[in-house]
Amino acid sequence: MSSGDIKGFYRQKKKNGGVTKPSSSSSSSKKSKSKHYTGGASVGAPSAAPTPALVTRGGAIDLKEEYGDEEEALRQFDMDMKYGPCIGVGRLERWERAAAMGLHPPPHVREVLVGLASGSTACSSKFKCLWEGLV
Amino acid sequence: MADSEMGEATLERKLAVYRNLDERFVIREEKYKGQQFSHIYFMRLHHMRSQLQSLIPKWKPHLPVNTVLGLEEGKECIIVGTLYKHMKLKPSILDEYSKERSAIPLVKPHNFMSTDDHLILEDESGRVKLAGPMLAPSAFVTGIVIAVHGKETSEGDFFVEDFLEAGLAPQVDRPLDSREDKFVAFVSGLSVGTNAFNPLQFQLLVDHVTGHLGDENEQRISSKIVQLVIAGNSMHISHGFFSGQTVAPKDHAKLTEPIRELDIFLTQLVAALPVDIMPGCNDPANYSLPQQPLHRCLFAGASAYNTFVSCTNPHHFELDNVQFVGTSGQNIDDLYKYSDAKDKIEFMERTLRWRHLAPTAPNTLGCYPYVDKDPFLIESCPHVYFVGNQEKYETRLLQGPDKQLVRLISIPRFCETGVAVMLNLRNLECHALSFSTNL
Repeated sequence: MSSGDIKGFYRQKKKNGGVTKPSSSSSSSKKSKSKHYTGGASVGAPSAAPTPALVTRGGAIDLKEEYGDEEEALRQFDMDMKYGPCIGVGRLERWERAAAMGLHPPPHVREVLVGLASGSTACSSKFKCLWEGLV
Repeated sequence: MADSEMGEATLERKLAVYRNLDERFVIREEKYKGQQFSHIYFMRLHHMRSQLQSLIPKWKPHLPVNTVLGLEEGKECIIVGTLYKHMKLKPSILDEYSKERSAIPLVKPHNFMSTDDHLILEDESGRVKLAGPMLAPSAFVTGIVIAVHGKETSEGDFFVEDFLEAGLAPQVDRPLDSREDKFVAFVSGLSVGTNAFNPLQFQLLVDHVTGHLGDENEQRISSKIVQLVIAGNSMHISHGFFSGQTVAPKDHAKLTEPIRELDIFLTQLVAALPVDIMPGCNDPANYSLPQQPLHRCLFAGASAYNTFVSCTNPHHFELDNVQFVGTSGQNIDDLYKYSDAKDKIEFMERTLRWRHLAPTAPNTLGCYPYVDKDPFLIESCPHVYFVGNQEKYETRLLQGPDKQLVRLISIPRFCETGVAVMLNLRNLECHALSFSTNL
C-alpha cells in the first residue's frame, strides 16, 4: 500500500464540486437528497426548529429541494405522530382516519389533497406519504 | 318435535330472537395496499388510551400523565402505552436466516416463557423498560395497553409502583324477565375426517339435540334448546393440502369426504334448530384472524336451510338480548404459549380485563393488517364468553366491579371428550352434556 496522500486517496468532495440540483422535482424515486423539515418528530419538539435530516455523500448539505409550501405542509402532516404512522396509508385516507378519530387534523391539508385530486396537473405522488417506495 | 304415542300435543321447540353481530369481523371493504401492522397497534393504543384516561383520575388523581419521551428521572408520574414482552425463547423469523439451514424443523416447545423475560412499555414517542416487582412478566403478553405509575431510574428504566388495566368494559343489562328455561348448546372440535372422530358419538349428540332420542321427558328438555353453536374445528383437512400444490385425483376423496360427512350431520341439525358454525384452525378457512365464514358451497345440504348460519371467528351474536362473544380457541391457545395462568378460564378473564379478545395478534397470532380499526377491542362486556377446542370443560361466573356478570365457558374438544356444553339463558347456568359409546 502506498504511503501517499490518504486524504487525496479518499475523495472528500465530489469531483464536480458539490451536488448539482436535480433537473426535475420528481419526489418518487430513490435519491440521496437531504430533506429539510421544521419539527421532525413533533412530539415534545418545538414547532419551528429547522433540522436538516440527511446529508449527501460528499459532505455538503444539499440546497433546498424544489418542492413548494404545499408539499411542505403535507410532509408536516405525514411526520406528526399524533395521527399515527404514515407508511402504508395514503395521505387523504390518513386524514380521514384522523378526523374520524376526533383528532382534528388541520383542514388546510385536506383542502390541498382534495384540490390536487380535482386539478388537471394532479401529481399522484403527493397522495402517497413521504416515505412511499423508500422504506 | 315429536308425537308421543298416547296422542298428546306435539312438543314445539322454543324460539329465541337471534341477531348476528359479526359485521366488524367480516373483511369486506378492506384493501391490502402493502401496509404493515403499525396501524392496528396505533388504533389499539388510541382507543385503549382514551379508555384508560377516563379511569386514571379515579385511580390516582394527583399524578401527571406523561409520554415516554417526556419522562424525567426521579419524577413520579403515570405513563400509558402498549406492552412488549421481550422473550428470548420466542422463535424469530430472523433466526432462520442467522443459523445454518438444516432439514430438522425448529423445535416447538409448549411454552416460550423464560425467567429472563422482561416488559417494555411503548407509546408513539418511545419505549422504556419496566422494572420492579409489581409487574410479573409471566402474567402479561405483548400487545396489551396499560397505565403504569412509577418513576424513571438512573439506569433509564421505569420503576413500576402500580399499574392499571382497563378492567371489564361496561355491560348492557341482561333482560331479567324471562320465566322460561331456554338452552344454548355449544360443541367444538368435532374433527370429522380424523381417526379421533366417532360418528356414533356425534350422532348421539345430533339425535339428542334434535329430539329423536329418549322419552318424553328427554324430548321436553331437547325442545328447550334454542340454538346450537359449533365453535370451530368441525373438520380436519390435513395441512398438507394447504400447501398450494395441486391435489392428485386419488387424494380428492381425502379432501371432500370429511366435508361431505359433516354436511350430512349438519343437515340433520339445521332441519331441527338454528345452528351457528364457526371456523377453527383446522377448517378450510383463512389462517389469520378474524377467520372468515366457511363458504356456503361446502355445505350443499345444510346451506339450503335458513337456520344454517356460517359465522366468523371471533363470533358475536345476541339471543333474546343476551350478548355472546366467542372464539374457536386460537386467542387463548396463543396466550397459553406466551404467559402463565392457573387455568384457561383465567386467560379468558384477562382478555376481558384487558378489553381485547386477542392481544397477541398480530405479534404471534396471525391477523389482518387493518388500517382504521382494531376489531378485537371489547367495547361492551358480553354476558357469555366462550372459547372452543380446549382440553376440558370449565366454567366460571365472573363478577365485575360495575355489576357486570359474565359466564365464561371453555368448550372441550368433542372428538376427545364427548362433552358438549349447555347454557341456560334464563340464569346463565351451565352444565355439561356427556356422550359415550363405550359399553
